[in-house]
Amino acid sequence: MTIMETYPITVGNVTRHVPLVETLPGMRIPLVEFLGDVELVREAARLLEPHLPEETEVLLTTECSPVTLTHTLAELRDLPYVVARRRRRAYMEDPLIQEVPSLTLGSSDTLWLDRRWAERIMNRKVAIVTDVVSTGGTIKALDRLTYRAGGHVIARLSVFQQGQREFNGEAFALYNLPIL
Amino acid sequence: MRTYPVEIAGVQRELPIVKVGDQVAVALLNLLGDSELTEAAARALSERIPEQAEVLVTPEVKAVPLAHALSVRTGLPYVVARKTVKPYMVRPVTREVVSITTGKPQLLVLDGADVERIRGKHVVIVDDVVSTGSTLKGLKELIESVGGKVVGVLAVFTEGAPRDDVIAIGHLPLFEPEG
Repeated sequence: MTIMETYPITVGNVTRHVPLVETLPGMRIPLVEFLGDVELVREAARLLEPHLPEETEVLLTTECSPVTLTHTLAELRDLPYVVARRRRRAYMEDPLIQEVPSLTLGSSDTLWLDRRWAERIMNRKVAIVTDVVSTGGTIKALDRLTYRAGGHVIARLSVFQQGQREFNGEAFALYNLPIL
Repeated sequence: MRTYPVEIAGVQRELPIVKVGDQVAVALLNLLGDSELTEAAARALSERIPEQAEVLVTPEVKAVPLAHALSVRTGLPYVVARKTVKPYMVRPVTREVVSITTGKPQLLVLDGADVERIRGKHVVIVDDVVSTGSTLKGLKELIESVGGKVVGVLAVFTEGAPRDDVIAIGHLPLFEPEG
């Protein structure tokens, strides 16, 4: 993989010149990094917050890059949040295990949700939060996890939508990320 | 379920006691999902950051919200040491550490861009719980191998044997597994 050049990304009042990475031959995407960027995360959270329904009771996300965004949104609205993990941890008891549907054959991804955390979703109105939606596989998996934990998804929020939407769930995104 | 009570800067929690091996159980601190506790810990720890600190480094993923909250309070930048090499990383630097509790090797990774933010800088490591210190030792070695100088370690809790090389709010004992 070669870094070709940078691409300007703007979230509200914050602009970053991010690397363009070639994920497949002839297909380049701007690589936005929220981890380590307090200013970008706070601006994104400020802009997403009005799109979070009033009745939201808990936020749900995955590790790792959307964690600080979700933390900041949770703090703005004084809500709890739950993080589905990408690896099994030794302390997990009776976790919900959810495959992430993937467009790429052979590359599978799995989400793990400890029972103690699943209980925080049960009978709750859930907003799914992420930073970048591409195929929608992670959102679908979080939808399914919420259903299996007995919760109700009332919103799906993302900062960016990458390329064309190719899944049926409606996710709200603040901005589009081009595929170049 | 057995729990262990803790208090962090006026915020109280009952931590579940969970078995993590045949011989040992721990009080499970989870800052992920608890922004109130994270902010309380950041408030308490921000007053104790060594003055010469220039950048914070935290291992993925449980301490990431804490590092973020400390960064917001102090204005110091933070860097996340990842646990896998991502395909988009440029000239990543890695180090393998063996966890004493799980016996499994674990990778710590700094992306090339983050290496540049650490080189020649006074670094403070931020973690949630420092137990055996195997991650801490690996992270220190990784930071120093790229030219950073570790000037302090901040954690919410130390665990097991008390240690004086970590600035912590409190200490967690280890527990016997039940039954």
